[in-house]
Amino acid sequence: MTLELVGLSKSFPGVKALDDVSATFHPGEVHALLGENGAGKSTLIKAICGIHAADAGVIKLDGETLKLGSLRDGLNKGITIVNQEIQVFSEASIAENIMIDKLELYREGRGLNWARLNADAADVLERVGLDLDPEDHIGDLSAAQKQLVQIGKALSRDAKVLLLDEPTSSITASEVERLFKLVRDLRSSGMTLIFVSHKLEEVLEICDRITVLRDGKHVGTELIADMTRETIVEMMIGRKLLIEAFPRLETDADDLALEVTNLAAPGLVKDASFGLRRGEVLGFYGLVGSGRTELARTLIGLYAKSAGTVKVNGAPVEIDSIGTAIEKHRIGYVSENRKEDGLFLDFDIETNITMPVWKRLRNPLTRAINGSRQRKIAADLMEALDVRATGPEQRVGDLSGGNQQKISIAKWLAADCDILIVDEPSVGVDVGAKAMIHKLIWDLAATQGKSVIVISSDMPEIISLASRILVFKEQRIVGDVPGLPEPGQTEDSVSRAIGRMMA
Amino acid sequence: MFMQRLRAGRIITGAEAGILGAALLLVMIFAIASDSFLTQYNVFNLTRTQSLYMFVALAQAIMLVTGNMNLSVGAIAGLTAVTFGYTVDTLGLPWPLCVLIALSVSLGTGFFNGFVMTKLGVNSFIVTLSTLFIFTGIVYGVSEGYSYRNIPASFKAIGRGSFLGLPYLFYLMLGTLGAVWYMFRYTIFGRQLLATGSNKEAAELSGINTNRIIMGANLLSSLFAGVGGLLWVSRLGSAQPAIGENWLIISFAVAIIGGTALAGGRITALGLFAGGLIMVLIKNGLILVQANVYFEQAFLGSIILLTILLDRAREVWSAKARKS
Repeated sequence: MTLELVGLSKSFPGVKALDDVSATFHPGEVHALLGENGAGKSTLIKAICGIHAADAGVIKLDGETLKLGSLRDGLNKGITIVNQEIQVFSEASIAENIMIDKLELYREGRGLNWARLNADAADVLERVGLDLDPEDHIGDLSAAQKQLVQIGKALSRDAKVLLLDEPTSSITASEVERLFKLVRDLRSSGMTLIFVSHKLEEVLEICDRITVLRDGKHVGTELIADMTRETIVEMMIGRKLLIEAFPRLETDADDLALEVTNLAAPGLVKDASFGLRRGEVLGFYGLVGSGRTELARTLIGLYAKSAGTVKVNGAPVEIDSIGTAIEKHRIGYVSENRKEDGLFLDFDIETNITMPVWKRLRNPLTRAINGSRQRKIAADLMEALDVRATGPEQRVGDLSGGNQQKISIAKWLAADCDILIVDEPSVGVDVGAKAMIHKLIWDLAATQGKSVIVISSDMPEIISLASRILVFKEQRIVGDVPGLPEPGQTEDSVSRAIGRMMA
Repeated sequence: MFMQRLRAGRIITGAEAGILGAALLLVMIFAIASDSFLTQYNVFNLTRTQSLYMFVALAQAIMLVTGNMNLSVGAIAGLTAVTFGYTVDTLGLPWPLCVLIALSVSLGTGFFNGFVMTKLGVNSFIVTLSTLFIFTGIVYGVSEGYSYRNIPASFKAIGRGSFLGLPYLFYLMLGTLGAVWYMFRYTIFGRQLLATGSNKEAAELSGINTNRIIMGANLLSSLFAGVGGLLWVSRLGSAQPAIGENWLIISFAVAIIGGTALAGGRITALGLFAGGLIMVLIKNGLILVQANVYFEQAFLGSIILLTILLDRAREVWSAKARKS
């Protein structure tokens, strides 16, 4: 069915989330919805499936104007969303999860006709290509399987429009392939598919058409055949963004800050060996769950290792806790989840920055932390990293994403860390701040001699920053790709090399 | 004293001023409403009860700060009191030694609670709900329900004596609150307690051994509960197994009215002081206005709920203020 949006607007206090957005989604097409964080994607999705009522404008399905007041209204009209967080009743069976909203149909006397229910659920599983027993416990399935079950549930409800919201964010590469096969099948069957993702490679692979939002406005709708990665990015950010690689850093292959040999952690990392040269930026590229973050977290003692050796500055070390990593070996780790486990949003900047070094600021007699020294350390680092804030006493939660990221990095500089591991440095920061963060990371290596590992699933980011890139797949390091040989060259050859290893 | 949320700035926060203002308002109302309110006898009694409540509240607040709770505070106090009574009365040991033994027992209970929480990973609600019954059972098993009445006069003097018209206990409370304030304001341990309660994952990634911190909080909590129990013995003049039985509501009420965040990460010594005062004023006031005391728990429960709702409203309001 054709889904048509006409002049949708939606405001929240202080923001115009959607501003006169019109677009048409055709049956038998996979239509990507793109935009940066804050562009209005989520609001639009919620308007389409009935969670938010738009302030102005109408939604039409095959010409019929829909009045959607809730998610349930959307479902009744055949509009279904499969969320990025996969929601299931984990204590129930697969069949119960699929049929939870249709139990009425299976009523028999005072109970349910379980045989019929399970048989119908088995049909649904077959449609989505899952060879599973419908009576199995759903909690034991992988994220990808749960997602397919959710799609199956939508199909069993006779969905006409299916919204896939970041469907690949928590599944592995081979599972993505399986998902895409299903998506293609659904497309041939005439379903209207809306695909929300920020992974442009996937959009280019699976989608027929794209609609781009920026600042709540509809920027354009184009056939994918007419687009390239660059033109899509240009539509999203409103200007050309060349991937400008930083100059290569001269490093000595024998001068290793960190040397890891055959490191393993059960279920997380298999047989990892690599060296981090002094003063270099080393890239860890891979999907979520590929072992890159897990390796980093094993290195700093957060996960227990089961085998392998680690050398810091040539000397073998045992890192059994983060405290040891920070204090003894000067290894700092900037978490990928800044807001969840990286920062104390309710605390002020100086507390956040100086937390790892309180011991050094303590008066041995009174046991008190020296407040003026604490403030000075924070103020100096804020200046060095150009943090935009009212002062060291400002609440970290009130800073922008880019400035928060600088605070997370400043913390480890305060602790004099020589080795920095930065996990997904530019998640949730805007394009301008992203460039600043990149410059900051590169400067740390180039001018301060820090040895930096950058973990990222953002290929342009890692190509522009890293002089060498380790590629992760299924808990292993599967390859080692040199970064760009010279500034100004295209990243194509590097990204193709990485792509080959990931396949 | 600061609102201790690891944010520098104002000497007294709006929230603290609010709690303190409420306490002063109550004092004024009662002073006007009742002639007997500001008599020396009543002031002595009020401040003494406030001081006792403070130890009860600290035992709870120190756990709340870390994002945990301790439902067994009263049971620990009872066990400490009975241990003291048994050693001083039945065994006839010198009372300073008995104090040490009794406090060792309370620290032991804190260690046990902390061990189950951190090493076995059971949440604090479940752990302390269980130990509440375990410790209470031991209290009645050992004492068989009888009080130990043979308490040395020099020990009773602690809970009964006064200096400049105010009970000794009041000065002990001020000193303890001062130490608590200093700990949270200046020491690494105090700040790590706040950090752990504010965001446990971030604390771990900052190199804080949160298990050690939570164990420390349990030990301190049991110590405050134990000291509270002993002071109660000293005031009553006998070690009664029922000591601590009605502490649960007091511990939460004073801590929460006093501005301790239920979700962790925030405590204020000044607020606790005012919270304790509000608590005794309300209890005292209910008697003065001849309210039916059988309804007391309903009043206290309502006040806790009201405080939480006010706190919630303030959070929402300040989040809105930040956004605009």
